[in-house]
Order: sequence, then structure tokens, then C-alpha cells
Amino acid sequence: MKTAVRKDLTNEINSGRKARLIFICLFLLLILFLILDIFLGSVNIKPSEVIGAFFNNSHTGFQTIILKFRLPKAITALTVGIALSLSGLQMQTVFRNPMAGPYVLGISSGASLGVAFVILGFSSTITPESLTGFGNWILVAASWVGAGAVMLLIMVISSKVKDIMTVLILGIMLSSGISAVVTIMQYFSNETLLKAYVIWTMGSLGNLTVNQLNVLLISVSAGIILSLFSSKMLNALLLGENYAGSIGLNVRFARAVIFICTSILAGSVTAFCGPIGFIGIAVPHIVRILFKTSDHKILIPGTILMGGAVMLASDILSQLPGSETVLPINAVTSLIGIPVVIWVILRNRQYSDSF
Amino acid sequence: MNILKYISLCLLIVVSGCGKGKKDTGYLTETRNKISRAERLSIVQKDGWTEVKIIDPWQGANGVKQVYYLAKRGSRLPEWMDSSAVIFVPVQKMICMSTTHVAMITALGEENSLAGVSGINFIYSPSVLRNAEKGLVADVGYEANLNKELIIKISPDLIMIYGIGSESSGYLGKIRELGIKVIINADYLETDPLGRAEWIKLFGALYSKDNLADSLFNSEEDAYTRLKSLIIKSVTIRPKVMLGLPFKDTWFISPGNSFISNLISDAGGDYLWKDTKSPVSMPYGIENVYIRGLKADYWLNISSVKNRKEITSVDPRLDDFPCFKNDNLFNNNKRITEKGGNDFWESGALHPHLLLKDIATILHPEIFPGNELMYYKKID
Repeated sequence: MKTAVRKDLTNEINSGRKARLIFICLFLLLILFLILDIFLGSVNIKPSEVIGAFFNNSHTGFQTIILKFRLPKAITALTVGIALSLSGLQMQTVFRNPMAGPYVLGISSGASLGVAFVILGFSSTITPESLTGFGNWILVAASWVGAGAVMLLIMVISSKVKDIMTVLILGIMLSSGISAVVTIMQYFSNETLLKAYVIWTMGSLGNLTVNQLNVLLISVSAGIILSLFSSKMLNALLLGENYAGSIGLNVRFARAVIFICTSILAGSVTAFCGPIGFIGIAVPHIVRILFKTSDHKILIPGTILMGGAVMLASDILSQLPGSETVLPINAVTSLIGIPVVIWVILRNRQYSDSF
Repeated sequence: MNILKYISLCLLIVVSGCGKGKKDTGYLTETRNKISRAERLSIVQKDGWTEVKIIDPWQGANGVKQVYYLAKRGSRLPEWMDSSAVIFVPVQKMICMSTTHVAMITALGEENSLAGVSGINFIYSPSVLRNAEKGLVADVGYEANLNKELIIKISPDLIMIYGIGSESSGYLGKIRELGIKVIINADYLETDPLGRAEWIKLFGALYSKDNLADSLFNSEEDAYTRLKSLIIKSVTIRPKVMLGLPFKDTWFISPGNSFISNLISDAGGDYLWKDTKSPVSMPYGIENVYIRGLKADYWLNISSVKNRKEITSVDPRLDDFPCFKNDNLFNNNKRITEKGGNDFWESGALHPHLLLKDIATILHPEIFPGNELMYYKKID
């Protein structure tokens, strides 16, 4: 009896030590990718010039590229990676569904619908050019509402239907339905607005103005803080609603908090960067495999680090360093994310135990 | 003796073979391809019909030849001729999918034969717009949204499309099945400005107005070559030119072997990407274009931009360009309709010498003092 307890304890200490090691590695990886993302791009700039750019000590063209192009893009990539991965993690736990994610379940489409209403809907009052300053908040709020509405719908469905694959299929149906509505809106909207919308739908990290980046940073930070406080709730929810209720958790309140948090995270990103696929679903799985735990006190910080690192790596890849051509960011994240998703589906039987 | 006999026999066969060939060419009125500049078109006058070949009619086609036989209405044709490839001329009712086609039809004075277009909002020609108002020109939609029932109701002699690759055969298959002739026009793939203009000869053949089409093209060719040599003689420095607008963080760059690149070079400009080669526009990273664009003296063809503010609303970092600061911004949207029709993409294709003169006036105002721009305007 005594030895068993001791063994448990040493196991825990060991795994705690291991987790700390992984955290340090992930953090270093994140920093490495952040630096690489600034150093590598489609223009070859010598490392000395890159460093010089920060000290006002380099070719002016290069300085602009580093400070106005690469730095904001790297910060955006970091923020987007964190936000999407966190919202994916929370959704997977709340729905107790390994396939949940902002893109797959149609949350991003919901956000698109919100944006479509702003860009295409009120053509008489708001033009794309007027969406500066305060307009950015309108855009992001519409995106939150759209994401939230779809979230709510999926929640209602998943409370009625227990089978996770059914919920997934319904999510796909929902996002196709929303795309159809957006297509009809596009069909009847005038050309300039349509172009503004089409450009928006192509996911991109490198086109945010300073103002937009501020809005993104503020809202994602709020989402991150909220999720750091929600780890206990998520742990309890993972064990089932009955259990969560029995240990004194207000399930309805917990769900509402996580719900708001997810909508803010996924909605803000979608508002400014367009729908970016498969990061939200894939990263939490990579983190679970890495830490071999379902404790959200570890998963949440792990997902933050991993999400940022994966998105930065995707951005570096999309720039195809050394070549003049660039790839759309969505293609890169899909190519990274889809294998993970397939792997999860294939080993779903054993894996669904952790939900 | 025997050997000699054989040799003479062989010689006789060879000689008679040659003779036969010569006799054939002599018999036909003309076998010369009357196209000199356009790379994807060939028109040969045969005895009793005109053979039109469209070569590689869509982007990326290689070794594709589409042959059409243009014959006078009611004329008797040889039996080997595939009747689905026969087009009876003069064409009386046509539907066109591109604005350049509309321009060429208008230039031949045949706009009343135009029964349908793809996107009436993109049309500039006032006479065609007037006809549309009277209900004589229908809007048949585009690509997958093509209104097939409307096309069948119009039942034109001919639909002229532009190459959308193998897909196009899919959506037009049904229409071909109903006996409506479809011809693919590849004028937009021509990279020589005069090559694009020469496609008017196809319309000349279709409307039996060959002489008018030939003379329109010849005077165009004449004007273009004279202008070009004048520019070459007078130009000492070639200003650097950049084009277009970014699409988020991707900037699609017209390659050095494109229509616009050739035009800039003929106008005495130095296109910043003149050394690139590609059949299509190339997606470049915005930072890459930015660093090269810092050298540009002029910025042309800036999408559909009408003022400086529209450029910075696309990306505020674009105001760093010296050509932006120096106010050297010119766009090809001087002649536009309220709904989005732009004459640059319409009659511009037919008048390369006017495009050349415009660009040369922008880059070298000293050569053409007082010349007013036709298709281009300054962006302030």
C-alpha cells in the first residue's frame, strides 16, 4: 500500500519534470521560429542587416521590410496560432469531441457570415475604406456574433445528439449552408464590395494595419486570460457534466465562459486574417500526444506555445525562403493539419477514451 | 541500261510529283497564311472556303489546333469536311464573351449582329449599350452561370468564347449539340500588341469584310511601327516602371514576356520585371515587390484605382514608393462607364498604337508635348 503510493508520487514528480522539460523545449522552439520568421522571407536580407534594421542602422528599404512587413506579420502569426489552437482545445473539451475545431465545425464560417454582413450587407453606410479605426471593432464584433451563433447552434445539436461523428457531419453541413448564404449575398452585391470580400476570404497574415493588429492583440489577450482561468472548469467538464456538477461546478456558467472565450478567439482571428484552417483542430492533439495528459493546467500553456510555434513555422514555409513566390497560408496550414486529423480519425477508437 | 531506265523512271516520278504540287498551288487562289503577327491564328484562303486555324487556344494548351471552315451561305462543300466545323458567312447573329470581341465587331460596323454579351456592365461601346437598352443585346451570364436557355432562345449563328481550357468544352457541349457553332478566340493570349490587334482579321473573315479588316490592321501596324521607331530614336533614358496592386500579401506580377511588358518596352520604358518569363502572372511575395518597386519611376495599371487614397487603403505601406511620393501614378481607366466597363480592355486591344502613344507620353512627355492621353489618366 505504502509502496504503491510512493510509486505514484515518484511517477508524478517524474512526469512533472518531464513536462517542464517539454515546456522549455517548446518555448525555445517558439523563440527560434519567431526569429527565423523575421530573418527569412522572399527577399534575402543578410542577418547583420536584419539586426541593423532594429537599430536604425541598415538600408532603408530593408528596414521597412523588417519593421513594417516581417515584424507585424510574425506577431500576427504568433497571435493567430495561439488563438486558433486555444479555441480548438476548448471546443474539443466542451463538446468532448476530438474532431472539434473552429474551422471544421463551422465557427470560422459563422465568423465569415458576420464579416459578409458588414462588408456586403450595409453597402450604403459602410465601405471597406471606412473600416479603419472604430470600423475594425465593428468588423471584429460582427465576427464574434457570427462565430457565437454557430457555436450556440452546435451546442444545441450536440446536447441532443451524442454521437461525435454525427455532430461533425452536422458541423460540415452547417458551414456549407453558411457558405451558400454568403454566395447568394456575393451574387447580389456590387463589384467593389465583392472584391473586398473575396480578398478578405483568402486567409492572410501579412496585411494587417497597425490599428487592426492592436484590435487583434487586445481581443486575443482577453481570450487567453479568460482561458487560463478556465482550466479547472475544462478539467471538470472533461469528466462529464454530472461529475462536474457533483463537485460543485456551475456547468451552465462554465459553458458560457468557455463559449464566450472561444468565440472571441476564433472570431477575432477570422475577422482580420480570414478563415485559416486546421490549426485549431490539429495543435491540441499534438500537445496531448506530447505531454501524454488531459490536464488542462498543462494542456493550455502547452497549446499556447505549440500553436504559436506551428503557425510561425507555417508562415516561414509559406514564404518559401529564397524564392520570389509565396504560397497562400491556408494551403500550408491545411497540409500540416490534415495529416494530424486523419491520424486522429484512424486511431479514434482508443483515443476517444480521453474524452 | 536497266539501271539507267530505273533512274530515269524515278526521276520522272519525282519531277512529276513536284509538278503536281506546283500545279495545285497554282490552281488555288491563295494558300498563304494572311496572318503575320498573331501567333495563335492562321487564316488561309482556299478555293471556295476559308480555313481558319486557332492554335493553342487556351492558357497552357500545347499542340492544340482547332480548324474551322468559313464558307459562303449555301455554297457546296466537299464531303470530307466536318460539318460541325463549318461556319457559314457572313455571320448574322453572334454572341461574344469578351469585350475585345465587341470592339472588333464595332470597328467593322457590325454591332447590330451582336445579340448577346457576357456581362453587359463591362461593355463600353456606346452603340452596343444603346442596342442593349433597346433590348437587342442580351446578357448571357458567364462561365458556369451561362444562361443556356437564353442562348438557345437567341439561337445565334456563332458564339465566340475565350479559352478557359478543357473546362469550356464541358459547359458548351450542350450548346454545340444543338447545332450552335462555338469558336474559341485566343486574342488575349497574344503577347505582341500588334498580334492581338490582328485578330480583327478573324472578324473580317466571319463577316466577309476581309478587305476592311485588312486595311484597319495595316494602318494600325503602320502607325505602331512608325511610332515605335520615333520613340527609339528620341529616347535616351528609360524610366523604370512597375505595375498592379497586391492581393493581400501576394502581388501578381505580369511576366517580361507579356503584352504589357512589350508595350512598355516599345514605349521607351524599363519594366522592372522585364527579365522574367512565364505564361501566366506570377505570385510574388509583397516584400519582394516592395524592395524592387522602390526603384520604380512610374507606377501604371493600378487595378481599378481612381485616387491615391484607394492605394493606401489597400495597404498603407504602399505610400513608401518614390513614384507614389513623386505623384507618378497613371491608371488605364480614363474611359470607363459608371458600371465598370473600361474601354482600355475593349477598343484598346484594337488600337495598340494609341496605347503605345499613351504610355510613351507618360514616360517621355518631351517627345509628345501637349498630347492628351486617350486611355490613361493621372491618379491624384
